Amino acid sequence: MSGTVAHLNTGPTAEVGLEREEHFTTDGQQIHAAKFGLWCWLLTELLLFAGLFLTALVLRIMHPQAVTEVAKHLKFWIGATNTAVLIVSSFTMSGAIELSRLGWQRGMVRCMLATAALGSLFLVLKGYEYYEDWDEHMMPFLSSRPYVLTQDPSSRLFTDLYYITTGLHGLHLLTGVSILLVMTWMASRPGFLGRRQNRIEIFGLYWHFIDLIWIIVFPVLYVLNR
Amino acid sequence: MSPSDLVLGRVSEGVREPHPGRTTIDREPDYLHDEHTLRSWLGSTDHKRIGILYLLSITFFFIIGACAAGLIRLSLVVPNGQIFSNDTYNKLFTIHGVVMVWFFLIPSIPATFGNFIMPIMIGAKDVAFPRLNRTSWYIFMTGAFFTLFTVVVGGVDTGWTFYAPFSTTFSNTWVVPALIGVIVVGFSSILTGLNFIVTIHTMRAPGMTWFRMPIFVWTMYATSLIFLLATPVITIALILLVMERAFHIGVFDPALGGDPVLFEHLFWFYSHPAVYIMVLPGMGVISEIVPAFAQKKLFGYRFVAYASIGLASLTFFVWGHHMFVNGESETSAVVFSVLSFAVAVPSAVKVYNWTATIYKGSLKLDTPMLYAMGYIGLFVVGGLTGLFLATLAVDEHVHDTYFVVAHFHYIMVGGTALAFLGGLHYWWPKFTGRMYPEALGRLSAFFIFIGFNTTFFPQFLLGYLGMPRRYHNYPPEFQLLNILSSAGSVVLALGYLFPMFYLTWSLRYGKRAPANPWNAKGLEWTTSSPPPKHNFETPPTVDFEPYDYIAREDRV
Amino acid sequence: MNGQSPGPSDYPLLLWPQAASADAVQSDHLIWSFTLLTLVLTVPIFLSIAWFAFHFRAGKEAHRQYSDKRSRLLEVSWMLIPFLLTLGFFYWGAKLFDRHKHAPANALRIEAIGRQWMWKFQHPGGQAEINDLHVPTGQPILINMISQDVIHALYLPALRIQMETLPGRYTQLWFKADKPGVYRLYCSEYCGTDHSKMDGLLTIMTPTDYSNWLRRSGNSTSLASQGKMLFSSYGCAGCHDQGSVVRAPSLAGLFGSPVPLEAGGTLIAGDGYIRDKILYPDHNLIAGYKQVMPSFKGVVQEGDLVLLTAYIKSLPAPGAAGSTPGPEKTQ
Repeated sequence: MSGTVAHLNTGPTAEVGLEREEHFTTDGQQIHAAKFGLWCWLLTELLLFAGLFLTALVLRIMHPQAVTEVAKHLKFWIGATNTAVLIVSSFTMSGAIELSRLGWQRGMVRCMLATAALGSLFLVLKGYEYYEDWDEHMMPFLSSRPYVLTQDPSSRLFTDLYYITTGLHGLHLLTGVSILLVMTWMASRPGFLGRRQNRIEIFGLYWHFIDLIWIIVFPVLYVLNR
Repeated sequence: MSPSDLVLGRVSEGVREPHPGRTTIDREPDYLHDEHTLRSWLGSTDHKRIGILYLLSITFFFIIGACAAGLIRLSLVVPNGQIFSNDTYNKLFTIHGVVMVWFFLIPSIPATFGNFIMPIMIGAKDVAFPRLNRTSWYIFMTGAFFTLFTVVVGGVDTGWTFYAPFSTTFSNTWVVPALIGVIVVGFSSILTGLNFIVTIHTMRAPGMTWFRMPIFVWTMYATSLIFLLATPVITIALILLVMERAFHIGVFDPALGGDPVLFEHLFWFYSHPAVYIMVLPGMGVISEIVPAFAQKKLFGYRFVAYASIGLASLTFFVWGHHMFVNGESETSAVVFSVLSFAVAVPSAVKVYNWTATIYKGSLKLDTPMLYAMGYIGLFVVGGLTGLFLATLAVDEHVHDTYFVVAHFHYIMVGGTALAFLGGLHYWWPKFTGRMYPEALGRLSAFFIFIGFNTTFFPQFLLGYLGMPRRYHNYPPEFQLLNILSSAGSVVLALGYLFPMFYLTWSLRYGKRAPANPWNAKGLEWTTSSPPPKHNFETPPTVDFEPYDYIAREDRV
Repeated sequence: MNGQSPGPSDYPLLLWPQAASADAVQSDHLIWSFTLLTLVLTVPIFLSIAWFAFHFRAGKEAHRQYSDKRSRLLEVSWMLIPFLLTLGFFYWGAKLFDRHKHAPANALRIEAIGRQWMWKFQHPGGQAEINDLHVPTGQPILINMISQDVIHALYLPALRIQMETLPGRYTQLWFKADKPGVYRLYCSEYCGTDHSKMDGLLTIMTPTDYSNWLRRSGNSTSLASQGKMLFSSYGCAGCHDQGSVVRAPSLAGLFGSPVPLEAGGTLIAGDGYIRDKILYPDHNLIAGYKQVMPSFKGVVQEGDLVLLTAYIKSLPAPGAAGSTPGPEKTQ
């Protein structure tokens, strides 16, 4: 993949490769297995969310009124900002992968830190959004704060789905950021790229996937129903 | 279709040793004798040892589930439910269902034979992710811990179906720990399935093309697809149940703004495919046993392979047939009904092809073959009663009655459990290096077949007479059939106990097994019994077709 | 079950249930024919397996030569012919099911409420019974049911029919019985502790006996009249009666008629619609009216909702005689 690239002044290049495990016969086989395995995992994850998306869409078709009512209470602009934040984080992650292929360890670590920072920014914004929702009495499961749309049972189901979907996505992102930070710490040590470069690639797939899920969540919950 | 197997069918020398000398010093020790400490077992990443760990754990759970079943049958001897309180009875059938479905049937064949045999069948050193494989078992045991905790502290009474809103709002039992147990075990299934799919794609030996794989590998592939695609859906459904029960985030309970039918959809979207997680591996095992004991090539190999994948795909489109009487629209009922009929086609293909395999073979009726023949009989009955249930007007009457109970026990016990026992006897020499006592084995197969039919056939009648499931206060006119059923369950229990004893006995006193006691084909019989740590002395190269049994005229 | 209730107490070995309606006999024909077909399809397989196992056993001399040629036609036909035969039964079953889905317009309506762990049935004249149900022969009976807590299912084996009873949503089943007698009814959907005691007796009687039974059961206030009283006591009349100050939609002739919605489109006002409107008036706003009605969720119980609906149903349309329940469009 790497080809010949003019050296920028980002420090020395490290050797890129991997340590083969004993039950594989070739490097290619190990790389293929790892990638393929992660794709399978992402397929499973996609179906985990699919049930929620499908329910939300069916609800939208059956009770358009109620769902639009809830959508008016969702913070569209926070959602949109967050979408942008995640898209940028995908770019920085791709940068990290590209640099890891070239063996530019320091630049790669910086890109990874930027990615983690953007992921954290997303979580902070999401937390603020939840706080606003709480403030608007948009949490029907809290008996202490009566739900603002109490009249409409199907709106409540949509609201609950909103919390479960975004909560589950937030949990994935939190996991992603944690893994990323641990990995960044490991990747900053010398010799990492020579033994474990493909882990960066694999993690990159996972990160793009979390991003993709949000790119589905945003229109399904925020945009379609406005 | 496939080229004649008269000429081919030789493995390169040095791989196929008919009787590997057990005394030569330069052989590496086999996987059993490699190390003996408990630590070496619990920390092992060897797929064979992990398969054995699974075998032990699911046997333990099978015993729990079977005890619950025994108590259920005991309670049903009398019609007025005097033996247990209503709550105790409800907890018993719930534990029976949860344990048998998620802790025995679903992991039974994939996690034990799939782990142990499948990588050897494709000539791999191990599965693609050995450490993940070990993790799967630990996740399984974590889920098991939650479930056992639930049983010990007082049980759960929702039925294995966990229907909302009963499970989220009205039950006063330990629903959340039970749900967590099932959710966690789901992850174990997902990871096992993922591991198998990647293994089959990337770890095959040179020359092992897709259409040289034994049917068992094909069914493992199909099963793993279901693991990956269906399990997450029930995971999310059960997570939603936990959310609703613990935090009142209402999705299913109408009182909290939810919709109870939504849970039925999500639940059956997984739980119907789950039936095929149980059935497909059984079909794979039978497809190995029948050719070996008929000494004849499997008839219509490609058809059977396609039928496995076809079943795994079709099974995703029939979940609505569990909900014909919940007010679902007529259109969807009709569509789900006709799709359910379509499932019969690939299933029938397999039965016909096994029968055609026996034709003009050279049959040995040893224990595995007896189990396989029992399987075919019971599976056919179970499958056809499934068609009855897919018929709308019939289902309106027998839905949620003992007819359904009998139907799915014919599939799950007649299908999965018999195939499991058949496979266990078939590969026992490979697992342990010992032979089991043949006469006792045949006796156990006979007992199970007789006991099973006596237990469950009367339940078809009970169901049509209108005895609802999950009743232990039943009208006195049903008592005779229930006594018959309970009597049968005693015979069935004996049939299960037999193998537990003589297989354990054979570990120490059984005859030493040769590498290929059945004269069967396939890579797993080319290596020693038990296999060495990395499965083969020299990595195999495959230049033969599957099931290349030599057809000989008037073979004696 | 402990001998308190009179009922079928014949203890010989039962092999086939009684059938109390023509449709039940139809279902029996269906399952008998289907069983016959499955025997025709499977017995040959079992016999041939047994015969092959005997004839081709190892060590016995037999003619074992076979060619590797396979007949595609044969294999496709042994797949497709049985499948097409069974599809005939799919069609038969679906047709019967279709009959069970469409109740005749002249059906006698009985309201059923399921709750842990009892059934409550109410006849149009207001007679209520717990766990037992009396119905006349020769007339279609429509049972309209709802659950107050968890999912139940009303199961009438003698009529070969059942229907789930859901919380928050009406479901219906109908039948026309023709054999007087005492049969059993059950809850067939697991619903908790006393699920297996949530059963009762279904008594099918001649129309004369039925009307006598109705008379004996007292309670001369019909469901609609009871609903009318509630209509006043909950204060509905204040807005919805003719000539009230607040401009609320008139309820006369509402049942079964199309209602234009604020958001466009129309809904047919069935049981579910009326129930939802009482509980969640903000839902499905009606075109041309300002929404001022308060929600009665948590105020009106499920049983009262049935009575109110019965009253609203009884209100004739201006210049019309009676109304027929239209097809229901529940949410």
